[in-house]
Amino acid sequence: MGSVIFDILTTAGILFVVASGLMIILGVMKLLNFAHGAFLTAGGYAAYLTGAAGISPWFSVPLAGIVGIVFGLLVERTIIRPLYNRPLDAILATWGLGIVISQIFALTFGRGVQFAPSPLSGTIEVLGIEYSAYRLAVSAIAVLLAIALIALLSLTRFGLNARAVIVNENLARGLGIDSTRVRAITFGLGAGLACAAGALITPLLSVDPNMGLPWLVNSFMLVLISGVSFPSLLLASLVLGGTQVLISTFISPILGGMTIVVLAAMILRLNPKGFSRA
Amino acid sequence: MRLKSLVFGLGICLNISAYAADPIKIGIPVGLSGANSVVAPSMVQAAELAVAEINAKGGVIGRPLQLEIADDGSGAQGAQRAYDSLVFQKEVDGIVAMETTAARNAGLPIVNRGRVPLIYTSFYEGRSCSPWMYINAWVPEQQVEPIVDQFMSEYDAKKFFLIGSDYAFGRGMLKFTREYVESKGGTVVGESYLPIEGSDWTAIISQLRSANPDALITSTSGGAPNVTLTRQLRSAGVDIPYGNYAIDEGTAKSMGGDAEGVYLAASYISSLDTPANREFLQAIKDKFGDDAETPHELSVPLYDGIYAYAAAVEKAGSTEPSAVIDALSEVTVEGPRGAIKMDKQRHAALTMYLGKVASDGSVEVVKSFKNVDPGEQCPQFAD
Repeated sequence: MGSVIFDILTTAGILFVVASGLMIILGVMKLLNFAHGAFLTAGGYAAYLTGAAGISPWFSVPLAGIVGIVFGLLVERTIIRPLYNRPLDAILATWGLGIVISQIFALTFGRGVQFAPSPLSGTIEVLGIEYSAYRLAVSAIAVLLAIALIALLSLTRFGLNARAVIVNENLARGLGIDSTRVRAITFGLGAGLACAAGALITPLLSVDPNMGLPWLVNSFMLVLISGVSFPSLLLASLVLGGTQVLISTFISPILGGMTIVVLAAMILRLNPKGFSRA
Repeated sequence: MRLKSLVFGLGICLNISAYAADPIKIGIPVGLSGANSVVAPSMVQAAELAVAEINAKGGVIGRPLQLEIADDGSGAQGAQRAYDSLVFQKEVDGIVAMETTAARNAGLPIVNRGRVPLIYTSFYEGRSCSPWMYINAWVPEQQVEPIVDQFMSEYDAKKFFLIGSDYAFGRGMLKFTREYVESKGGTVVGESYLPIEGSDWTAIISQLRSANPDALITSTSGGAPNVTLTRQLRSAGVDIPYGNYAIDEGTAKSMGGDAEGVYLAASYISSLDTPANREFLQAIKDKFGDDAETPHELSVPLYDGIYAYAAAVEKAGSTEPSAVIDALSEVTVEGPRGAIKMDKQRHAALTMYLGKVASDGSVEVVKSFKNVDPGEQCPQFAD
């Protein structure tokens, strides 16, 4: 029973880390980033390359984050910015970008499965329960990340500007906030978070050109019901991830695989605003 | 005299043109795209090597062999197109196929309609029967026994836990495993499945830990689901004897330490120390040089399958489909896996090797089991 609680907490942590990059882009830019899955994959390959180069696996996450930010800023400038006035086209562009990125990985690394080394192996004993050390570490990182992101939005100048853009972009611009710059930084940050998340989950999984895809779907569902708020994203991860673990453990893992999607649809049906006012 | 030499000359001309224009066509539907695309290059190499070797010795009944390779997309839809084009457009004489169960099931009706001999060369969940098909790879009866017996005798395992991907092969293998374990006096304390593309095994691993079994056997789809399961098991500290039906040498090698101690059973392991296997490995290296793919459990049966078809045509004296089908159960192929004869209800008795992954990812042969019988597969074809 105790390990089920750990399963719930660590699953929620992983979901939060994976979805946060998508949420920040959706919130500030009103843009559903379909390339999110490809960014996660890029983080996975960054972790794989870090391992192959013999660098300590602890560095793979920050390295992937930096690569992601640089790449995100580049993509924003060349692909997203010209499409600001055509939101639907911008979404299509990110979709296309996602396909291009995963094809480039398939051509460069092949379709086969690759591995990244894990910085922590084996189990540790917490409260009398043997549990995977790395999963616990990922959850701790998720909590720290949540605190850092909430602090970024509520305590910094950038956060203030970003919140202004979220609430009313035209008004914010009228008050002299450079919304183009806010958008650019946000996309870079979102891409960086996605890449870092990809590198973080890779030691539990394996890397292949489509590894980000299943995470993309779950991230969408979480972001749709959480609205633009990190605390409510944390709550959504806990509720949906927890239900998934409970159904997988006590009913059937096959049903568990569908839990997040079905539950998200039900929540939106009952309360179209999801958790955003909860 | 002049007429006679004219007729003679004409005869030679016809003969030559017949030889040049009339090769025996062997269709190879293979997953160049999709899930099987990872292993497809080694299949194509194995097929090309077999055909090149046979042609270098003068072909079969005086005719050369020619390959027709078609992409089956690793699935049912692609296979339908591939078989349609092979059978009705290219009009192949025989088909040798290493592909997924879904692709085979889609191809069989077309093979039956076109009356083309098919040799299926992938291990599979068993009991697929068609008057036009032979199978030269293993079925659950041959795979399950070595691993379960080893766990029961070596580790005194009584309680087994089974984990699989939710598809025909995964469920078929574990159903048979459960029956076999129970027939040997053991119990199955848990059996869990994840959707075929699933890679988050968290909940199943928790079930496994609370069931506290003596041994674990898994039957997932190859690639990501298999390696993520193995890694997550290791990171959860699961170290009971672990048999894996889906792991192959290449995967074990790339996983390194995480795969250490995993048991597998195979009819071919590339480290087999037999003259036939050494010769085969050298031939692959000579023909493809740096591009040579390491042959494995899926590519070697394909190589054997082409030899089996050639031998059957030789014995039948023609490519007439029903004569070839009759001959296929009577010919023996001496390949890298040893002597193989498909005379057990369209299947073959195989020598199975129990392997264990070492810390560097290489597979050591622990034991071999001579001529393991495939059991009752297609009783309607028993002679």
